Amino acid sequence: MQEITGLFKIAEILRDILGRFLPAQLVDICMSLINIGAIFTIISLTAVVLVYTERKVSAFMQRRSGPNRVGPGGTLQSVADMIKLMAKEDIMPAGADKWMWVLAPMLLFIPAALVFVVFPFDNKAIFADLNIGIFYFIAMSSQSVLPFLMAGWASNNKYSLVGGMRTVAQMLSYEVPMVLSILGIVMMSGSMRMSSIVAAQQHTWFILLQPIAFVVYVITATAEINRAPFDLVEGESEIVAGPFTEYTGMRWALFFLAEYANLLAVSAIATTLFLGGWSGPWLPGWIWFFLKVGGMIFLFMWFRWTFPRLRIDQLMSFGWKVLLPLALLNIIVTGIGMYIYEFFS
Amino acid sequence: MVGKGLLEGMRVTLKAFFNKKETLQYPEIKLTMPDRFRGGELELDDKKCIACGLCARACPNHVIEMTTGIDEQKKRHLKSYLYHSGLCLYCNFCIEACPTNAICWDKNYENSRYFKDELDVDCLAIAKQKSAAAQVDKPSAEQEDTLTRRDQE
Repeated sequence: MQEITGLFKIAEILRDILGRFLPAQLVDICMSLINIGAIFTIISLTAVVLVYTERKVSAFMQRRSGPNRVGPGGTLQSVADMIKLMAKEDIMPAGADKWMWVLAPMLLFIPAALVFVVFPFDNKAIFADLNIGIFYFIAMSSQSVLPFLMAGWASNNKYSLVGGMRTVAQMLSYEVPMVLSILGIVMMSGSMRMSSIVAAQQHTWFILLQPIAFVVYVITATAEINRAPFDLVEGESEIVAGPFTEYTGMRWALFFLAEYANLLAVSAIATTLFLGGWSGPWLPGWIWFFLKVGGMIFLFMWFRWTFPRLRIDQLMSFGWKVLLPLALLNIIVTGIGMYIYEFFS
Repeated sequence: MVGKGLLEGMRVTLKAFFNKKETLQYPEIKLTMPDRFRGGELELDDKKCIACGLCARACPNHVIEMTTGIDEQKKRHLKSYLYHSGLCLYCNFCIEACPTNAICWDKNYENSRYFKDELDVDCLAIAKQKSAAAQVDKPSAEQEDTLTRRDQE
């Protein structure tokens, strides 16, 4: 292991300071709370920044200049958006299943936040280095299927119900090739622990050894977080906006926040698995991590503003008939390749 | 190769990402409208006007209300010239009907008003004010029209 640097060092300094005033157990609790606070700060700040970034990127790709009125260069635009959302009326549809309707957006945000437990932001800067890190991520991200169906069902609206079912179909179908594409990485690194996977990439990033897996992962991840070209969940004008048709104001903003948290999560996983995580020369680890995550996020935005939306049958057949065999093939090729490599070394 | 079209599309958007932007920052930079643009309010030149009433007659909506008088040399002249821009169709018939080219559009596109009566323009009073001031029009620093800019490219 390398010497202790960056974020972990900051945590150690904090721990020392707290240790002077508090007993050891309380220090542990305090540090956990601080870590949780930091993660939530990252999620909410990212959502705010990403709203602005998304608008800027989309504008630039359409040869417009984007938001540039509120604050310097339009940077306060997302703050203005949030104020607008807070001021909006909270309407509950008549005949809605009240508890389900209220719980759905909150439940959607919880798995999006829980996923951040296993991200190595820097050397040793990881909330819980589970030995089943990737498995945990997959399990948690599958949980976000349920709130969409809840929201669709509880809205007492046929379009919402159909939208919710469409979402579930899409997300379940694309879980499978996603998991199988990640399996290649697990085979090569021989571990599901995030820190070990990053350590296995110190010399060669897995994107070079597993290009097919990377492509499959990026496509499935795009479908998983419901972004264009797979944003059948959200098509506002063409197909009625799906499960969150009936949500207004801050409840809708929670859906939005969850989407951006998921975007960050998926980009962070891609960074950890394929782009060598926090490892990189010269700069501190966490800067490398966030640079790579930013690159991935830009890639997802680039997809969104380039490709037209798919139809639902095209989406399903692409997932089951193209991506799944491709991911399976990748696993077979990886296994054979590993045997050959061991035979010659 | 599968997916070639997708990469092509991504290349196009990336090129657009770094390209020059088309947007004009509106309140600061205002376009001059092209010659044949019909909009804004009527502009009357009271020196050219012979008070024939053809414009008021040509108007399908009776937007122009004018009264004429005759002076001691038996010459008709305008007494009042009201233009109700709230009812105007911007059909250009009045301007085509005018034998002396006394009226034209002022090509202003910021026509919103707070009250309805502000939409009724007393063109004669404005024209008289203008001739009293008799200022030479200074060319204002305005952006070229995008169309001509595209032609030059």
